Amino acid sequence: MDRRLIRERSFGLTGKLWNISWLYVLLLCVLAAVGYVALYSAAGGSPEPYASRHVLRFAFGLVLMLSIALIDIRFLARLAWPIYGVSVALLVAVERMGHVGKGAQRWIELGGLQLQPSELAKIGLVLVLAAWFHRASWERMGNPLFLIPPLILVLIPVGLILKEPNLGTAVITGLVGGAVFFAAGVRWWKFALVALPIPFAAKIAYRYMHDYQRARIDTFLSPESDPLGAGYNIIQSKIALGAGGMWGKGFLQGTQGHLNFLPEKQTDFIFTMLGEEFGFVGGVALIGLLLLIVLGGMVMAVRCRHQFGRLVALGIATNFFMYVFVNIAMVMGAIPVGGVPLPLVSHGGSAMITVMLGFGILMSVYVHRDVEWPDRRDEI
Amino acid sequence: MTDDFDTPPPEAPPPGAPAHRFGAPRDGAVPRMETVRVTAPDLKRRAAMEKTRSRLVFSALGFALLFLAVVLKLADATIIQPLPPHRPEKPIAQLFNSPKLQDSGPRARRAMITDRNGEILAISLPTAALYANPREMIDPAEAARKLKQALPRLDEEQVQKRLSEEKQFVYLARQLSPREQLRINSLGIPGVYFEQTERRRYPMGRTAAQVLGGVDVDGNGVAGVEREFDKRLRDDPGPLRLSIDVRVQAVMRDELWKAKDEFQAIGACGIVMDVDTGEVLAMVSLPDYDANNVGTAPGDDRFNRAVTGMYEPGSTFKLQTAAMALDSGLVHIWNEFDASRPIRIGRFTITDFEGKHRWLYLPEVLAYSSNLGAAHIAQTVGAERQRAWLRKMGMFDRIGIELPEAARPIYQAAANWKELTTMTVGFGHGIAVSPLHVVRGTAVIANGGIMFDPTILARPPDATPRGTRIMQQSTSDTLRKLMRLVVTDGFGKSAEVPGYYPGGKTGTAEKVGAHGYKKHANVAAFMSVFPMNAPRYAVYTMLDEPHANASTHGYATAGWVAAPAAGRVIARIGPMLGMLPDLDDKEAIQQALYIPLQPGRPAGAGRAAVMIGDQPKPQAGAPATKPKKTLNDLRHEARLEVTPTGGAHAVPAVAAR
Repeated sequence: MDRRLIRERSFGLTGKLWNISWLYVLLLCVLAAVGYVALYSAAGGSPEPYASRHVLRFAFGLVLMLSIALIDIRFLARLAWPIYGVSVALLVAVERMGHVGKGAQRWIELGGLQLQPSELAKIGLVLVLAAWFHRASWERMGNPLFLIPPLILVLIPVGLILKEPNLGTAVITGLVGGAVFFAAGVRWWKFALVALPIPFAAKIAYRYMHDYQRARIDTFLSPESDPLGAGYNIIQSKIALGAGGMWGKGFLQGTQGHLNFLPEKQTDFIFTMLGEEFGFVGGVALIGLLLLIVLGGMVMAVRCRHQFGRLVALGIATNFFMYVFVNIAMVMGAIPVGGVPLPLVSHGGSAMITVMLGFGILMSVYVHRDVEWPDRRDEI
Repeated sequence: MTDDFDTPPPEAPPPGAPAHRFGAPRDGAVPRMETVRVTAPDLKRRAAMEKTRSRLVFSALGFALLFLAVVLKLADATIIQPLPPHRPEKPIAQLFNSPKLQDSGPRARRAMITDRNGEILAISLPTAALYANPREMIDPAEAARKLKQALPRLDEEQVQKRLSEEKQFVYLARQLSPREQLRINSLGIPGVYFEQTERRRYPMGRTAAQVLGGVDVDGNGVAGVEREFDKRLRDDPGPLRLSIDVRVQAVMRDELWKAKDEFQAIGACGIVMDVDTGEVLAMVSLPDYDANNVGTAPGDDRFNRAVTGMYEPGSTFKLQTAAMALDSGLVHIWNEFDASRPIRIGRFTITDFEGKHRWLYLPEVLAYSSNLGAAHIAQTVGAERQRAWLRKMGMFDRIGIELPEAARPIYQAAANWKELTTMTVGFGHGIAVSPLHVVRGTAVIANGGIMFDPTILARPPDATPRGTRIMQQSTSDTLRKLMRLVVTDGFGKSAEVPGYYPGGKTGTAEKVGAHGYKKHANVAAFMSVFPMNAPRYAVYTMLDEPHANASTHGYATAGWVAAPAAGRVIARIGPMLGMLPDLDDKEAIQQALYIPLQPGRPAGAGRAAVMIGDQPKPQAGAPATKPKKTLNDLRHEARLEVTPTGGAHAVPAVAAR
């Protein structure tokens, strides 16, 4: 059957549903299922209190994702600026009245739903950058002045997130923004030009901070100074991975996790939990699944025929990749950061919703990959 | 993966396609870009898309690579080197200690260092260091003023400056006494804290300073034993027992100091070593320093002449030449060597100091320290065997003592080892080794031919040290007689100690300066072993650039400056080491050790003949008014011999002045 014809005739609801990559949705469901298994084990072999809520949240997130996937990507492009504005406003708000959690202000209560504005800000940033570069002609890309407004667009949320302080998310946000710049075709040397002064800027910023802020940054930069905190966690995490070995101890058999030596096992250290029970093989399988999801996003980006969609897809895939990479590298002690969950596997509502929101936009890009969309200014 | 997605969209529109629509899409339907009107901006847009496409592929590859890195790291953590599940006290103990205490908490104290008898040479005492957090400081000026009152050694201005720094940690003072700590604590200044540390003390101060080395302000060993055994001293709280005998060390230092003073030498060096175990009982290098203040000691004082200093051994090496020649069987004890005329090779001339100008028997070569004789002996043995011998004797290698300062000898490469080198090395020139090399080499000659590596650590009493046989027992027996002969009839007379039967060899080498040998700068050494009838200890004394005075009749040679010091050391340390002077068996021992200077003469006659013969001045232990040795001198010596041992050392000392 010629599907092209169907799409041709009515790119209505049915057509769009046809165009959704159900294989990709399946991959996400598998990942969420892995999360269910892990959380079931983390709770000591019980769906309560983590796993059952995980399923509910994922179901909600799935609906959200599919709904967004059906929204016309050009309409989302129009929403780019408002979303960005709202996210920046929320970042400012969280600074003033946010919920203080784990030593830093990161959360905000919004109608009963806890929200991390920094997560929303990343999506807003990706959208607004993609919109900006979408209308860039090749000549304008060569003009350095053209790059200054988007650079400011990146620096505003990065600065605000840094102020929370949340260095990890700030760096990830900066890198996601950088990835969009990169994909848009900004030349290599310009990256170097921007990256070089960062250490100096950081040093100056550090000098003008309050003492308590500096103390937080210090703790963040060297968790070893807090042997009961991150340092202890990392040691226990490494022991758990080592105990897992090649094939793992088996489902529900991980002693490190179940005897509560492993802290935060339902959130940040969920990968370790799986590593102990399913070993190297299980870990590699999970990493493979995550890689498929990241590369799937990249394929969607390549398949898209308009610049906006390509850049948005890349930004969202990069964001997901950063999450995964930082989390896994962290639990293995390769990088010294904390507080980054493993998306769709870790317990936690806010992260799940924002990740699924991102995948919704990604899917919208894929559904609307062939839309006719000239890159003139008045189109946006 | 790629293929599993939806079918690819039509890549290229059909050529000559109809109108391209601009403007907003119509409601309800999302139009597809079926055709493209190829315009200039369109081409540019496509170019940008192409660029983006390649960049996307690049990013995807980057992500895949980073994932691969993560997988490798995972393999490392799970399979390759899994962290063992140690779950002992530590993490749990940490729960009960604040992190701060963990960091600065009292760790095990650095182990003691003792001498072989358990005398403390180095010990760590608990002490406190004063530090402050300037951020918590309310009034730095006020705090500095108060601290100055409580601890007068502080510099108020500097303290105030430190307290005003933008830091969280500044040291104010180290090594507080408990009283000082109490005084400061009672000031109640916020932001001022104490850190429990330790302080390394050396109760013996300068005694064995270079051996011990010292520690820096953080307690890390910086030199000597402290550095060599730094890890051991940290990890194992048990005391480290050295082979040093602090009494012997003190005697050696005392005698060397006196000699250095008397002859205005720039430096001195002394070693006492057990010839049967290689244990070093004393190792002195002057000038020295107070081990408590190693940080401020000048480099000259920290220099350990015994192991770092490389000196031409001079005539003390003739023992090696003689042993090598006899052990090889190429030379017989009664062979004669031509010392009648100088040897000329190229532009070099080898001569004798106060020579006999005749052919000499081997015992005479040693007793009169003939360079010509030694050169001919070495020549007879040949370069190959000589090098092999010296290598076997360890003269080409860094000495294996447990001191980081031990240095490498200096010698000619095999290619440059000419006949002239063979000859000069025969009498100890053209090669530079450390004093400890000489001591070890001589110990082998004296102890029956077995080499033991010198050690600075006390050997456990039940352990038999493993040695290597270097020469035949018979060679060693002959050499012992020859060494004794040097003291009874040769240049080393002033080292004689009644009842201890020392034997040895003098060595005076001109120092090498910028322009060849310095005529008036000597290194004068005396290498002795006692008692020669049953060798126990090797005693080495050396003066660096000694100056002659009236009592030495203008001579600054080893027989005059170094040998008397060795004699005094032997006289003083003998009783300490549990050896009483054996005067009862004197005749028997003398007889057993006797070897004539020339063959075919009965013991008494041979000796007398030489005594009355044409001896040059330096060998004579008598005053200048009696340049030739007479029977009176023998009586004089006999009088010394009956002096009780305890005071025996005092007599020559007085006589020397």
